Amino acid sequence: MTTLLQQIANGIALGATIGLIALGYTMVYGIIQLINFAHGEVFMVGAFGGLATYRWLLPEGIRGDWYLSLPLMLLGGVVVAVTVALLMERFAYRPLRNAPRLAPLITALGVSIVLQEAIRLWFPDADAAQPFPKAFLDAQIKIGPISLRATQLLLIAVSIVLSVLLQTYVNRSKMGRAMRATAQDPDTARLMGINPNRVIVLTFAIGAALAGVAGVLYGIDITNVDNAIGFQNGIFAFTAAVLGGIGSLRGAVIGAFVIGLIKTLGGQYMPGGTQYDYVWIFVVLILVLVFRPQGLFGEAERVRA
Amino acid sequence: MSRLLTVNGLSVAYGAIEAVRDVSFVVEEGQIVSLIGANGAGKTTTLRTISGLLRPRAGEIRFDGQRIDSLPAHTILAKGIAQCPEGRRTFGRMTVEENLQLGAYTRSDDKVEADIRRVYELFPVLGERRQQKAGLFSGGEQQMLAIGRAMMSRPRLLMLDEPSMGLSPIMTQRIFDTIRELQAQGTTILLVEQNALAALALSDRGYVIDLGATTLEGPGPELLADTRVREAYLGEG
Amino acid sequence: MNMVSSVQTAKKLSGSLVPSPAAAKPLAVVGGVLAIVAALLPWVTFRFNDGPYPELATLQFFDAPLQVTGFRLHLLLFGVAAVAVALVPKVPGRGRVLRALGWGVFAVSLVTTVFIVGLGGGLGAATAADGASAFGGIVGVLAGLLLVLSAAATGVGEVPRWSTDVPKPVAWLALLLAFACVLYLVSLTLTAGGLGGASNPYAGPVFLAFLGMAGGLLGALNGVGLVKWISVLSERHRGFSIVVLLLCALALPLTEAGTDYWMTVATTIGVYAATAIGLNVVVGLAGLLDLGYVAFMGVGAFVGANLSGAAAAKLGITLPFPVAALVAAVIAGIIGAIVGSPTLRVRGDYLAIVTLAFGEIFTRSAQNDIGGLTGGPNAIPGIPAVSIGGTAFNQPLEVGGLELPGGVLYYFMIVLVVGAVMAIFANLKNSRIGRAWIAIREDEDAARAMGIKTGRAKILAFLTGATLAGLAGAIFAHKLGTASYDSFKFLESVTLLAAVILGGMGTIPGAVLGAALLFVLPEKLREFSDYRLLIFGLALVFIMRFRPQGLVPDRVRRAELAGETAEGKSIQQVEEALVAEQESVDHAPERDAKGDRS
Repeated sequence: MTTLLQQIANGIALGATIGLIALGYTMVYGIIQLINFAHGEVFMVGAFGGLATYRWLLPEGIRGDWYLSLPLMLLGGVVVAVTVALLMERFAYRPLRNAPRLAPLITALGVSIVLQEAIRLWFPDADAAQPFPKAFLDAQIKIGPISLRATQLLLIAVSIVLSVLLQTYVNRSKMGRAMRATAQDPDTARLMGINPNRVIVLTFAIGAALAGVAGVLYGIDITNVDNAIGFQNGIFAFTAAVLGGIGSLRGAVIGAFVIGLIKTLGGQYMPGGTQYDYVWIFVVLILVLVFRPQGLFGEAERVRA
Repeated sequence: MSRLLTVNGLSVAYGAIEAVRDVSFVVEEGQIVSLIGANGAGKTTTLRTISGLLRPRAGEIRFDGQRIDSLPAHTILAKGIAQCPEGRRTFGRMTVEENLQLGAYTRSDDKVEADIRRVYELFPVLGERRQQKAGLFSGGEQQMLAIGRAMMSRPRLLMLDEPSMGLSPIMTQRIFDTIRELQAQGTTILLVEQNALAALALSDRGYVIDLGATTLEGPGPELLADTRVREAYLGEG
Repeated sequence: MNMVSSVQTAKKLSGSLVPSPAAAKPLAVVGGVLAIVAALLPWVTFRFNDGPYPELATLQFFDAPLQVTGFRLHLLLFGVAAVAVALVPKVPGRGRVLRALGWGVFAVSLVTTVFIVGLGGGLGAATAADGASAFGGIVGVLAGLLLVLSAAATGVGEVPRWSTDVPKPVAWLALLLAFACVLYLVSLTLTAGGLGGASNPYAGPVFLAFLGMAGGLLGALNGVGLVKWISVLSERHRGFSIVVLLLCALALPLTEAGTDYWMTVATTIGVYAATAIGLNVVVGLAGLLDLGYVAFMGVGAFVGANLSGAAAAKLGITLPFPVAALVAAVIAGIIGAIVGSPTLRVRGDYLAIVTLAFGEIFTRSAQNDIGGLTGGPNAIPGIPAVSIGGTAFNQPLEVGGLELPGGVLYYFMIVLVVGAVMAIFANLKNSRIGRAWIAIREDEDAARAMGIKTGRAKILAFLTGATLAGLAGAIFAHKLGTASYDSFKFLESVTLLAAVILGGMGTIPGAVLGAALLFVLPEKLREFSDYRLLIFGLALVFIMRFRPQGLVPDRVRRAELAGETAEGKSIQQVEEALVAEQESVDHAPERDAKGDRS
């Protein structure tokens, strides 16, 4: 019983990370129907941005004070992630906006490889896993029979708060309305005076900022990062977005928690153990796509295919 | 009266297929002008080009004396041209109120709320169901919403693309009454219609588009009496 | 809509850069002369430590200024050709020829200069240092650009069409010569620069410069209409062409490329080419994006390995290779049909993700030695080599005094397999099912409305592709002697996809060329292997941006992907030209009777 509860708690913590990434996938797909394969790498460069901030920008004196260094690292991660995302939108995806759909998807694969390799080649020592600072927040918190790292709780809290904020922004603000309008019908949105490029840039920026936050918090939680964290977590996040119904913000977050639980519980209770936890996620993905392609929360009557 | 919109020698192509070859017409301020013609004649393409959704291959479009044919679509609305697109194209997953707010996207003044109320006065059914998703409405109600949404930008020129398509005769009559009312309030209107009879009866001026080119023009009632128009578009002769 | 405007801006932009037609001839002559001058100038200010950097390009070459070899010889020839093309009246397709020569000169010079600067430690290596000056590289780059400009000024028209009404012996002779030249070029290309690696740091630059030259040469030949002429002739004398082409391919071991090493490389290329053609059925013809395709190759490899009697294979079954390969292909095909079955319900991007998921499940299972069938991280080593009548395929061969290198039998086998796969592909493409696939690719709903059983056709595409991959996988495992999950990961799927796209979707030469490039380049650029993936990723981005139709585009498909062709012709024009061309091929005999056309 304790094991079960513990694994559920771990699954939720994993889901929180994946959820922050999945929001970016689902938003970009909602607006321009692009599977931005490189979004996982945005998460990865965000983590390295936070690490770089800690290593080279933070003065020795405040490194140990988590309430000073953590916000600055998050800021560094977000700045790097958003910069990278906007550059790739501008130079890789925008020229292909009217190209056949295969073209941007393959470009996204290319961008993903480039980012992974760029970090491996040019981030000092990043050809091996990099230790993330663990000087702060190194506490275990006990809730009944289960015990979580403080960093896991932080991830869960930040993830929930940011998801709610994003949901509110998209549903209530003027720009949020413009985003939804562009997602539904880009041409008519232009007739309303909405500049599609602005909406798309904003979408990429928001998605990247969330991924950047996730990257830094993830690094702090698992205390080491390498250039491959983006690919795997990116695929998990994409699966979550599809599971929840791609285009749906709420769906992406809930999908992410489901994925987190499948991974930890599957690793614990299914045959093959943790070696096959990855496989169960993909099995679920295939089943969902085949039997409920619109996802758990997607709208069955999509206007466009 | 001044010339609000001038289209001269317009040609538009989709790849190799030329949808509009040579369209020219003039809309004077305060008038209702209609473009009529068979399905596929190039009427919708003309409107979409004026709105900036398509780029002309040749020819020029002037609004209020100023060239607008190379401006991006999202800046056209701010110039004072609103389009109510073919098939209504309301945002089905948003509420009536959100649709109207989107119509006023480019405005930052404080009279938006008042204008929304005016739309509700014009179309009470929208006011009663303002928090419902637009996708749940009937065709005629969506057409009202689309017109209301286009009016929200306070355009000088309102372009309506097939507003009567798919509507019942009663609903069609209501929409045409509304168009007349909008004109009375000072909005210039460019109307594209397959329902040539109703459109010309309403119009100060009409143009016939055939195979991508303007072939006939004249005051609405005169065109309505023209035997060539009657033969070709009203199924007579 | 944006496309139209971007074409217009492109026209405006180039309009401001293009010199007037009157300047074309002087520009071409100056460019050509500069290319010759560049060939005769020194390129490096000092002697590279292990000799006169590629074939007498260093300053010391002035000891023997006219010993022009290697890339400098190519530049010299291109320069002479450019001057000749500019001065001789009525050269067919002059603009295209000059453009190709220009890009060739530019590529050769740029690659060489960049590498000299890189390896020589700075710009000084290729300009002037310590009282020595070496401006060959800069002059060469300039010459290339001038030639390209002169081509723009000349104007690039249509590829000239030569009369193809030639008597049979002439046609056969032309084809024979052409294919022999192709064989020669392939062998030169393969061996250009030699083996990559620490002992030979110049392999990469020499090879790339050679590729630039080969590209320029082929472009120029295409420009005068020769390539088109040959391809129409070969279309007309299909049987003869196939036999000659096959003989040429089998003759490769007799050329310079006839060593153990190049046989292995050529065999590997063949394996990937066969796989790429299989993927081309799925992606190029049926338009179904498969991101886990290499898994089928993996299935074939593991099935083949388990049936081969390798010590590590737990089944303990030993089947003769042809049977094992056949079983591997069949099992891979069945799994392909299973993986393809979601296509009945899932489309587009979603399908890509389903195939990716299947691929990942395969990798993960193989990594964990599922059912003891894959050996996990230990792989399945010691797969015995294929042998016929006691002759192992990996041994050198001696036939009537002719010494053939080791692995030559594998090479022969893969040539036959690739030939067979090509034949299958060509027949499928023009068959009923091929037309159904293309219809599905263009518009699935319309295809269904026209009565095509889309579900069956799509599964059949997956089945065909997977079978071919399975067969290739079995050969791969036997050739390599080991089967490891490491060879069948996501990145390999992306590489294969890139090969298909780089070459040109839906075409056979495209898939072969793409596979060859993507698997030869890493061999040649070992020195830069650290940057291999980075360059690969960048290449994907740039190809999609600037040449999405690939190197050898499918004629109809090119029109779709680029909106219009490089010649600026619209889709409709291309289709019309295509129909006209088809008719000219179909009705050739009638025209023969009527005499000259034109």
